[in-house]
Amino acid sequence: MARTEQQSNEKYSGRWFWRYASPATFYPLAGTLEKICWIIAAVLTVIGLYLGLLRAPVDAQQGEVYRVIFIHVPAAWMAMVLYMAMAFWCFTGLVLGTRLSFIMSHAIAPTGALMTVVALVTGSLWGRPAWGTYWVWDAKLTSFLILFFLYVGYMALAAAFDDKKKGDRASALIALVGAVNVPIIYFSTVWWNSLHQGPSVARAGGPSMAASMLAPMLILTFAFWAYCIAAVMHRVRTKIIERERDAAWLAEAVK
Amino acid sequence: MSLRRATGAVFRRELQLFAKRKSDWANPLVFFLIVCALFPFAVGSESERLKLMGIGVIFVGALLAAMLSLPRLFDEDSRDGSLELMLTSTEPLAMLILARVAALSLALGLALAAVTPLFAVFYSLPFDVSAMLALTVLMAVPTLLLIGAIAAALLVSARGGAILTAVLVLPLTIPTLIFGAGAALKVFYGESPVAELALQGAFMLLALALCPLAAAAALKISTD
Amino acid sequence: MIWESWSAFWAMGGRGFYVWGSYGALAVGVIVELIALRRGRANALQSLRDNEHDA
Repeated sequence: MARTEQQSNEKYSGRWFWRYASPATFYPLAGTLEKICWIIAAVLTVIGLYLGLLRAPVDAQQGEVYRVIFIHVPAAWMAMVLYMAMAFWCFTGLVLGTRLSFIMSHAIAPTGALMTVVALVTGSLWGRPAWGTYWVWDAKLTSFLILFFLYVGYMALAAAFDDKKKGDRASALIALVGAVNVPIIYFSTVWWNSLHQGPSVARAGGPSMAASMLAPMLILTFAFWAYCIAAVMHRVRTKIIERERDAAWLAEAVK
Repeated sequence: MSLRRATGAVFRRELQLFAKRKSDWANPLVFFLIVCALFPFAVGSESERLKLMGIGVIFVGALLAAMLSLPRLFDEDSRDGSLELMLTSTEPLAMLILARVAALSLALGLALAAVTPLFAVFYSLPFDVSAMLALTVLMAVPTLLLIGAIAAALLVSARGGAILTAVLVLPLTIPTLIFGAGAALKVFYGESPVAELALQGAFMLLALALCPLAAAAALKISTD
Repeated sequence: MIWESWSAFWAMGGRGFYVWGSYGALAVGVIVELIALRRGRANALQSLRDNEHDA
């Protein structure tokens, strides 16, 4: 049903963003967002890597190997943030019934799983020279391993249903159940005594890292954010193409 | 029918079914026995090493054995129609599910906890350790069944549902596993297990509060 | 630049394996994801075209 922008805004009584719950309206927005974020990601990555690998001084305690932190911490943050975003969209999908919400959560999962694997691998490779062991079963590392299982479980459950609607809602529920686990991950470094160093950025007294080390880490964090948004937006558009295949607007949009 | 009578009836029915159907309690127990008996062959019979491994092996064995009984929570009932009755009942679905899980936890938990000290003999564990292990197994089984009920509800009569249920549930039970086995380990080293017990209890209570509601929602999703 | 030479850069104080292993793992992961993204889009567009053909 074709409407002018004004009519559409009137229908939604001024809450213009509800329009974007429609795949047709969101599709171009996602494309724009994706392009912008690819560029931001590329630029910030170059700057961040330059500052981190070529400019930041050596660490007094750990030597050069501390440089892994510049990608380990952003990957770990994204792994957790993406899961919360995924759980958020699962929640809105279950409550509002909007199919785009489920498309969003399905699009986030693979990127989140990748970030988790990167966090685990870089953390393991950092741990060996810094603390003597590739792996230790402390609360934070264990919780990250569980986070990986949660992502995989979500994707496996979604794939187990032939009825896509049922699959969406079932996997959404399991994602929410797993979401209870996510706060435990963050606070576990504070709760339990463990091998992992305490949070050195988001602490009450301010970051305890030197500015020359903090800068590349924060820049790369934003770079990871941009990359993940771009990847997710790309996947959302692909899933919209798959699921809305019979829609009239789609044939024009993908030309 | 009042809520109390409804849940009481469901609770009793579950216990009666459990007692009548041999496979419901025999299979998990035999599986538990085999797992506990198998590990020494792989690890070597040196008793010091077995003692350390035994706590973990026994606890994981108990959890896996409990997982075996998850499919029977809803699959059988969906086949013979009693699941429909539960779904269309006027009583809150979450309470009915809670009653079933409570009955199963009681029966299966007691059974597994009762044989735990016997299997602890395989690993030359001292009595205080095996007693603590029995206690933590008893606390872990309800937690596992509560979380498992959600996955079992989502996968009612799904193909290959048992494996996927395990994949979904086992990661979520890791906290209770850490603290359950950890409590026994503390006793093994002569330290106080109070912290671990408290945390394991906390997880059990959290599961008790949240899982029946989630399982009810899951059941509604999968039987739509 | 704080490195005296490129070989010092690659060596990373003797911990080159860990540092470059980590950055390499990230690179591999990103590349794999990008390839998967492209493949997924190509498949979706292809089946869309097949849809049009049949219709």
